[in-house]
Amino acid sequence: MNYFPKLLALAISTTSFMVSAGEWQGPLGGITNQVIKQGYSVFSDSSQQLQQATQAFCAAPSDQSLLQAQTAFQTNALDWQQVQWLNFGPVTYFMRYYAFEYWPDKKGVTQRQLRALAQGDPAVMDAPKFWTSASIAVRGLTAVESLLYHPDFTPSESATQCQLLQKVTAHHFDSANAVAKQWQEAKAQDWVFDEEGSGFDAESVALEQFLQQWIEHMSAVKDAKLETPIGYNSRENLKLAEFYRSDLSLKAIQRNLQSYREIYHVGSPSLYDMALQKSPELAQQLEEQLTKNIKIALQLPDDYFQSGRTQEERVELAIPLVKSISNSQTYLANLVTTLGFQIGFNSRDGD
Amino acid sequence: MLSRRSFLALSGAVLSAPSWAAITQQNTGATLYASAYSLSKTEHFFGLFDKKGDVIWSSPLTDRAHAPVIHPNQSIVGIVARRPGFFIDFFDVSNNQRIQRIEPTQDHHFYGHALFTHDGSKLITQENHYPSGQGKIFIREWPSGNIVNVFKSNGVGPHESVFLNEDVLVIANGGLQTHPDNDREILNLDTMQPNVTYLSLKDGQVIHHTAHEQDLHQLSIRHLDVNSNGVVALGFQYQGELWDQVPLVGLSRINQPKMEYLPIPENIRVRFKQYCGSVCFDQSGEVLAISTPRGGFVAYWHVNSKTFLGVENCRDVCGLVATNNAHEFLLTSGNGKQLLNNPVQNQTVMVQNHANMHWDNHLRSIKA
Repeated sequence: MNYFPKLLALAISTTSFMVSAGEWQGPLGGITNQVIKQGYSVFSDSSQQLQQATQAFCAAPSDQSLLQAQTAFQTNALDWQQVQWLNFGPVTYFMRYYAFEYWPDKKGVTQRQLRALAQGDPAVMDAPKFWTSASIAVRGLTAVESLLYHPDFTPSESATQCQLLQKVTAHHFDSANAVAKQWQEAKAQDWVFDEEGSGFDAESVALEQFLQQWIEHMSAVKDAKLETPIGYNSRENLKLAEFYRSDLSLKAIQRNLQSYREIYHVGSPSLYDMALQKSPELAQQLEEQLTKNIKIALQLPDDYFQSGRTQEERVELAIPLVKSISNSQTYLANLVTTLGFQIGFNSRDGD
Repeated sequence: MLSRRSFLALSGAVLSAPSWAAITQQNTGATLYASAYSLSKTEHFFGLFDKKGDVIWSSPLTDRAHAPVIHPNQSIVGIVARRPGFFIDFFDVSNNQRIQRIEPTQDHHFYGHALFTHDGSKLITQENHYPSGQGKIFIREWPSGNIVNVFKSNGVGPHESVFLNEDVLVIANGGLQTHPDNDREILNLDTMQPNVTYLSLKDGQVIHHTAHEQDLHQLSIRHLDVNSNGVVALGFQYQGELWDQVPLVGLSRINQPKMEYLPIPENIRVRFKQYCGSVCFDQSGEVLAISTPRGGFVAYWHVNSKTFLGVENCRDVCGLVATNNAHEFLLTSGNGKQLLNNPVQNQTVMVQNHANMHWDNHLRSIKA
């Protein structure tokens, strides 16, 4: 009976781990060190800068200091996009993953809860356990975006709102920093849940988890970030686009697509290198498609998610990107199977 | 409706099918296990394996299937197509023959589960009348397949049902309205109202039903099992957001107005990813097991005390069945594992790992 993933020390002490240890060390180490650890380090740093910028803004509210806080927010939100694909490891504790970004907030929960907090006693937020029990809707970037961009909030005119903004950014930095630190002190295998039976290889299972997360995120980028808000298959609702108030919806997609190529290429050997050995044609197809995704996304107009276009125009512009990401999904799924991973036979069946 | 000639041929085939006892005596174990499995995206099978995990019988399928249905007396097994399902194939294990295919009537599809009555004379299926979205319970004569009764399931999306006793069927009305033209797209996400219904098989009357409070209306009640004390265990699949803090496992009784939700430590609950697969009581009825392929584990409770016992990690696990031993379960996974697990004694034994096989959602045992 296992409640928690075993520590590395336990994992490497098992015979089963030793049997195939090393096979996936290249891509796993590369992704862990160069994408995740580095990504969270950057995210943590810009979270701190966001906290400092909001402090400066609240100390001396002005258009200039507000703009600086908004710029810091945008940098931080885009740094988040680099690591957003992975809901695994320390980010899963205390609902941090969903707290970093509470999206899509279809019912406006964030605004409602922020209003309640702003009207209440600010001292409650200083209570030791406040943030561990606080709603995820007010703990991260979605809340910060609301406070900086939503017309209901005017922190430059309201001391209580500004105080709330500072509290949220301080907590957000604490969380980002905690995740970054935990990654620095650990390996991916530490967060794999040990299983009974010979042949269990924590390294392989960790990489399998990464690949599963990558596949799922690619699906979310196509469906939730692109198709749903523009009404690709149904009614348009641009407010469902990610970070639409701060106009980061397109940039977020672009950043996600860039992170995919990094996942594919980091490490020695990288996933790409290993795929080339196993199935050169498929490896190359995915490589070309990932590059094509980035190029097509960069060709979309900067104001793509803003009003001023018809739904038809927006859908027409999206078609090449939707098709390209869709092809990437197919190639990635095939490649993962070709490399010997078995992902989601039952877990993705959904019944 | 079968022709007289077909009926006579089918009756002959069924009559000649030996009992399960006769079949198991030819093999090493007294218990067999049935499950669909796949070797690839295009190679699908229905198979039986013994307690050593060796596949002793299998038959190819035209498509991926969902849950087996076992005839109580004769060596006949059926497999229900994956939702939206349009066939149940039945096989005589003794001669490897497919003896019958039952298809739904016009404008209906199966939900992936079916069951035989205790005497094996009738087959019960949960079906979707998709023009209306109304859930139906069909009762067919076995082996002819002739429909003898059709009852409303008292809800939408009746996914699985179990017998409380010979006269009462407990139905998990999942609440999800779908139409086969749109595969599994949920058409009523904002208005869905899942419930558990206790239905009289004598006249189709609703004896009792229970549902969640309105704020949990997206908590689909999908799979269930019942123990000898009449406790019905329920596994949910939440259609709302991944971060919502909702109960995932419940208990119901015919004389109890409301469902009870079982406690789950929060660090475990989030790992479920809002999704329960199979629901199964152990042989004693004291221990409840719920698999979650998305979470990659099976969770256990002591039912009477409502105590959470722990989890057994197993990626992509879904198949779950009680063995003949108290507190012991057999688990199957999408990556080929067959595990014996006793959560009370904290014992786990790998039966076999068929690395090339993907065991499908549900597992059933055959006791000779």
